[in-house]
Amino acid sequence: MTAAPAGRGLRAVGRETRRFRAIPHVRGRELGLLTLVSVALYVGSVSLGATQRFRAQLRTGEPGPVDLTTPSDLGLLAIYLGALFAVHAALVMTGRRTDQILLPTVGLLGGIGLLLMQRLPQDLAGSLGGLAQTQLVWLLIGLATVAVLAIAVRSDIWLRRYKYTWAAVGVGLLLLTFVFGRDVNGARLTLSIGPLSGQPSELLKVILVVFLAGYLSENRPLLVEESTKVGPLRLPPLPYLAPMVAMWAIALGIVIVQRDLGAALLFFAVFLLLLYVSTARISFVVLGLGAFILGAGLLYFLFDHVRTRIDIWIDPFVDPSGAGYQVIQALHAFARGGLIGTGLGNGLPSIGGRPPIPALHTDFPFAALGEELGLVGILAILGLYLVLVQRGLRIASAAQDEFRAILAAGLSLVIGVQAFIIAAGNLKMIPLTGITLPFVSYGGSSLLANAVIVGLLIGLSERARDPLPPPRQVGRLRRILDRGAA
Amino acid sequence: MAGPHPPAHPHSVSGSSPSWAGRRIGIGAALGRVSIVLAFAFGSLALGAGYWQVVEAPNLSRAPNDAAVIAAARNVLRGEIFDRDGNPLAWNARDANGEPYRVYASNSLSGVIGYSSRQFGAAGLEAAWNAELSGVVSADPLRDMIRKFQVDPSDPQSLRTTLVLHLQDAAIEALGRNRGAVVMLDPRNGEVLALASSPTFNASAVANPTTSAQTFDRLRTDDRAPLLPRATRGLYVPGSVFKIVTSIAALGSGAVGPQTTYADQPESEETGWLIDGFRVRDGHHAATGAQPVAFAEAIEASCNIWFAETGVRTGGDALAEWAARLGFGAAIPFDLPTVVSQVTNGDGPLGGGFSDRVELANAAYGQAETLTSPLQMALVAATVANDGVLMRPHLVLEATGKSGVATINPSVIQQVVASGVANEIGAAMRLAVSGQIGQVFTAGANLRGLAVAGKSGTAELDSGEAPHSWFIGFAPVEDPQVAIAVLIERSGGGNVKASPIAGDLLRAWRDWADG
Repeated sequence: MTAAPAGRGLRAVGRETRRFRAIPHVRGRELGLLTLVSVALYVGSVSLGATQRFRAQLRTGEPGPVDLTTPSDLGLLAIYLGALFAVHAALVMTGRRTDQILLPTVGLLGGIGLLLMQRLPQDLAGSLGGLAQTQLVWLLIGLATVAVLAIAVRSDIWLRRYKYTWAAVGVGLLLLTFVFGRDVNGARLTLSIGPLSGQPSELLKVILVVFLAGYLSENRPLLVEESTKVGPLRLPPLPYLAPMVAMWAIALGIVIVQRDLGAALLFFAVFLLLLYVSTARISFVVLGLGAFILGAGLLYFLFDHVRTRIDIWIDPFVDPSGAGYQVIQALHAFARGGLIGTGLGNGLPSIGGRPPIPALHTDFPFAALGEELGLVGILAILGLYLVLVQRGLRIASAAQDEFRAILAAGLSLVIGVQAFIIAAGNLKMIPLTGITLPFVSYGGSSLLANAVIVGLLIGLSERARDPLPPPRQVGRLRRILDRGAA
Repeated sequence: MAGPHPPAHPHSVSGSSPSWAGRRIGIGAALGRVSIVLAFAFGSLALGAGYWQVVEAPNLSRAPNDAAVIAAARNVLRGEIFDRDGNPLAWNARDANGEPYRVYASNSLSGVIGYSSRQFGAAGLEAAWNAELSGVVSADPLRDMIRKFQVDPSDPQSLRTTLVLHLQDAAIEALGRNRGAVVMLDPRNGEVLALASSPTFNASAVANPTTSAQTFDRLRTDDRAPLLPRATRGLYVPGSVFKIVTSIAALGSGAVGPQTTYADQPESEETGWLIDGFRVRDGHHAATGAQPVAFAEAIEASCNIWFAETGVRTGGDALAEWAARLGFGAAIPFDLPTVVSQVTNGDGPLGGGFSDRVELANAAYGQAETLTSPLQMALVAATVANDGVLMRPHLVLEATGKSGVATINPSVIQQVVASGVANEIGAAMRLAVSGQIGQVFTAGANLRGLAVAGKSGTAELDSGEAPHSWFIGFAPVEDPQVAIAVLIERSGGGNVKASPIAGDLLRAWRDWADG
């Protein structure tokens, strides 16, 4: 859907199609940033390689100088960087004037994740090959997804028109997981179909944003202007409370049936934020927070797994070698890292050949990076996520209509909020949940879903830079284009 | 998708918002606020990370449950342990994860070297010298001060012990299936040559991570108590070997002399010597006849009545005081933890805490409430052998690390008794092994070509079980170089069990000493 298949319908509107022709367009800023990313990752790999060799020599007691210049496993990194530049080249060749910051930012996060997987014991997870190889495969699939979406997605019609279809798909996925999901580590997150297995809640978060963008943009005028007065409170019009209640119920259901506190928290937080973005009414947020507190209280008293999580959060030292073990070990990892970190490959002391935290690669990469890269590295990583979110929100605020604005805001908020939830959980600022650190954590579903988000954001960032055509014409043109695309 | 609101626009947003062209789409302000909220949220994460990584870091990263602290302990290559001739006693192997674990040369070492296990900690020399073996202290105190600035601050040291692996093995072989202990040391410098406890256990299996749990579980519940290091921690009724302690107190204090005899002693042999309604009995009348025995003969014939009378004459105060000079009443200063030997357990009205003269009389020949360890009795023999000077027993000759060698020099605890008295007692002990009467009690210890001095003991137990069998002694008499204590639990008379074992081991010592 780059240039050639623009279609018969478009030819009818004449020379308008020139906009879609692939004229290579230099993306200087992206190229520069990608070069910086490559240098950073190469330095990281060299440092990791030297550390690993030094530690191996220390272990075997073999004397002699340590080779300090060869990177850890240049093959993996080279493939990854090659793929990053290939995506860049594809974006240049297709000539779209889309965002140039997102790809390098995501590329750096993914590369840091890859280095982390390289330094962990390779048999920690991953049925095909080792941990790092499996992660690399998923990163490549993710980058391909980013490229395809960033190049192909021009119109959001296919998203906005079928919002209820998307909602149905989402609810279907959720129900499938409820019923057929496999329990892994006490949470029913994994859905297996034949040899394939994945965590539908990762995909669900994208679908949720698409649906919310459609619903909120359509009903915005009503939500903003009408209200029901209950005493001093200006509440939203009651009929439109229904989706809010539904959302709340779905979040509760996810906690109760799937035992997935993280996803529930993410969905509900993104929902509230989008509600606020589209209506600018703080009363909705207050109401939502009230419902959240009520729900959380109920869950705490009714469900053991929720109570355990919160009790561990309040005082993990009650059971330091049992329930509180991972949380405490994560705090120790941060502490060992200190200001400047132990260096890649030099932290995470292994006990019996195992790292101190079992779910390091999925739930605690933030703590692992906190140890090896120090507070300095943590600040840099937090900065990368802030850049991602700010770019996304910029794309949103530059969007020409509500749907796209809310969609872009929602997609970037999903990443920001998810990063916050897991990082805050690692830091014992909120109860720990089992969601992933976007682009860094090990796991295919997570990488793929976040790649979809980034691909969509890049693809949808283009029009923001075009001069605004008069409204009518935009509507007509889009309708014509839609027919062509469909 | 029929919305509940008019007008229904199939897929347009722009159309439903009449004034959008004027104020764009009007969510910029809300987006801005959300963006600020998120920036604050990430700022709070930075503060949280700063709290753990800077404020709390010193406390957390030094805590004993910190993974780095645990891993360092598990990954350190402990120093090796050698016997005095350089034979390896303990070294390291690596498991599947590359983490080291201990391997020991022989089961016979279990009571002295102990074990070092990841799961169950350490015992024996491994525990006592853990800081040096794991390298958290340096042999050189100067280096200790600057160690934390070095790339690899750990300095595991290897130990050359005072032990002789060959003697250690011989001791365990001689003890056989009996429960008991053997201590052999050099009386001149306190160097322990053998420190054996039976039954032994497989310390390598305790240290090996794959067999550790199973082995340790079995050892812990074994009712033969193989984990008890009997030589240093076992507490036994000494019986007649305690008469050497009484001799030191009596002759040392001057309460009796070498020629002291008791006129009522020969006739008391028949019915027992009566003291405050208690009769001290004896069994050697046939050999000594109607002639009252003096000190040397009393030792040779192991005369209970002579020692009971001597004890009473010496007095509780003096007996307790002289015993304390030998090490009783306090833990012996040694590399390994030691049990406290006692002459009485009470704080009775009599001097030294004895409750009455009956207890004192019985204690004087090693019954009543006297309790002691094999190591303590070996030190008694060593003191006699070393002209009355008690040397501090020790197990390590040298600790060798990266920073150099630390040598442990012999040290004197004190001159317990005048050398003349010690030699007098030594001569009597020689008689107890070589004399006509003595030979009967110490059968097997009288060697050809090595002049052995000694004293056997048969410690009667209140429980009515078979008595403990003891032998303490030293050799060669003319220039003592080895002192020995042998204890066999509940096995019968000293002449039956302990004395032949002592003879065998002294013979083995001579072979070793002769090269």
